[in-house]
Amino acid sequence: MIAEIARRIDIGPLRRDASLLDRQRRPQTRHGFYVLLLLPALLLLVALLATPAVYIVWLSFQKSTLGQEPAFVGLANYGALIADSAFWRAVWNTFAVVNVIVYGELAFGLAVAVLLRRVEIGRKLIIAAIIAPYAITESSGIVMWRFMMEPDVGIASRLLDGLGLVLPWDSEPWAGLALACLIAIWHHMPFTFLILYAALLSVPKETQEAAAIDGATAWQRFWRVEVPIIMPAILVAILFRYIFAIRLFGEVWLLTRGGPARLTEVLAIYLYRETFQYRNFGLASAAGVCMLLLSLLIALPYLYRMAKEVRRGA
Amino acid sequence: MVHDARLSTRVLRAAGILAVLTWSLAPILLVVTSAFKEPRQIFEVPFRVFFIPTAENFETLARLNPEFFSGLRNSLIVTVFTVLLTLCASFGAGYVYARTKETAYKVSAVFMLVVRMLPPIVVTVPLFPVVNWLALNDSHLILILLYAAFYVSLGAWMMRSFVAQIPIELEEAAAIDGATLWQVLRLVVLPLAAQGLVALTLFVVVFAWNEYVFAMIFTMNNARTAPVVIGEMLSTAEGVQWGAVFAAATIQLVPVVLIVLALQRFLIAGLTAGAVKS
Repeated sequence: MIAEIARRIDIGPLRRDASLLDRQRRPQTRHGFYVLLLLPALLLLVALLATPAVYIVWLSFQKSTLGQEPAFVGLANYGALIADSAFWRAVWNTFAVVNVIVYGELAFGLAVAVLLRRVEIGRKLIIAAIIAPYAITESSGIVMWRFMMEPDVGIASRLLDGLGLVLPWDSEPWAGLALACLIAIWHHMPFTFLILYAALLSVPKETQEAAAIDGATAWQRFWRVEVPIIMPAILVAILFRYIFAIRLFGEVWLLTRGGPARLTEVLAIYLYRETFQYRNFGLASAAGVCMLLLSLLIALPYLYRMAKEVRRGA
Repeated sequence: MVHDARLSTRVLRAAGILAVLTWSLAPILLVVTSAFKEPRQIFEVPFRVFFIPTAENFETLARLNPEFFSGLRNSLIVTVFTVLLTLCASFGAGYVYARTKETAYKVSAVFMLVVRMLPPIVVTVPLFPVVNWLALNDSHLILILLYAAFYVSLGAWMMRSFVAQIPIELEEAAAIDGATLWQVLRLVVLPLAAQGLVALTLFVVVFAWNEYVFAMIFTMNNARTAPVVIGEMLSTAEGVQWGAVFAAATIQLVPVVLIVLALQRFLIAGLTAGAVKS
């Protein structure tokens, strides 16, 4: 009301009064409004992600399958999990594949970022081309790579044959996983690249120049000056890619289905098979809890940093 | 001498760029061009660079896999509504996070981050029976809700950093002029945060249009999306119909690649706001 009058008659001092009054009145009215604004997001998260995540912990202590009353069995599911060689195979495969993907992407993405930094002509177009794979669905990506890597007839497999390199991805487990890594790197390198590229561009020119005056070679300037400066970005890229690479599913599933003989299964595929093919909810839940803990463990430094930032009110 | 060194680094750099471009684009271009080849030319040796384009593969696709086109329609529906839901929920939450200092809000902001770190496949185990029981299986709704749930945290944090850049004085001025909270949000904050909304839209479109695991698990026929249909076309017992698969992959990737190329600067803005901000 006062605000309305102040607007109409447009008097400076009265305006300030109005804003003061408004500020005093704010707390009660605002909190209700804020909660209302937060509600949709929180509802989605609690109903679809947080509750299932808690429920799966409970489920992992039950003997359960679809359409059957769960019964408490203590740690039996975890015991069965530890005794399952397919699980350990999946753990090992995931470990190997995730590390190859994350560090392969890091090295490749960093190289591309450095390469592109000094390019002036057509930079926008080149970046557009580099991020194109990021826009493609896993299944289309698999279509492309399977076409190129089709034994004997694919253009890339013929090329490799010519070089004396054979990647028998349809029969050898290691080769199937190697191709899955290659595709995952192809697919997600744009993410790593963009983060590192943005960080490299934000390195002040002066530090470079100062190092150059001090007689540092380009190689030294890069490793001793720039890499330490962009280290936070590198760590963020590694962390995020770890968290997302653990979820790897489509690349392996569409190439090998986890076969032959479950030898190329990664954790996500193990979980999928135990749940939806063998209907072994207890075992799958125990494996799910392991994945959950692993992901949160990796995410811990990031979450810790963000929590600190939030507490500071940044 | 110096000039020579420069020239050689330049040549090296150009070669490097060319190699990267080949790596990124060759798989895409090969499949898109092959989609327009006659089936018998697809695996021809030597590789055929020039050919007369034909729509034969697209006709085969329409004849053999009509479900691909309903898959496209499902993908479109799911993507559009996921974007709408994610934008609304993220904008509201992001605004609150940018403008509050109380502990409860901060806790919920961190909660969002924690939840985002959960691997999606894990939540499918407990969700599947519930979704079945609610008869939401094979519906667009379940995919929309799940996709929004996984992207609303990123969205809220992105919007938080975009809203934080808007001077609070603008809101106060509008409030003095008699605008309600709702009007301030809609008429002052929303337009100024538009860039963030576009960046977020881009992320959600790419994700929802391409998502594979949830769609494979939670849909059968009615809501089956295009990526799932393509996945199925790759695993037929009679051997892969490469021509039809190429046609499908081409149709599926064109819209989203175009959007990403057109809005790529927002992609970088979103990444820097969402991930490397510190």
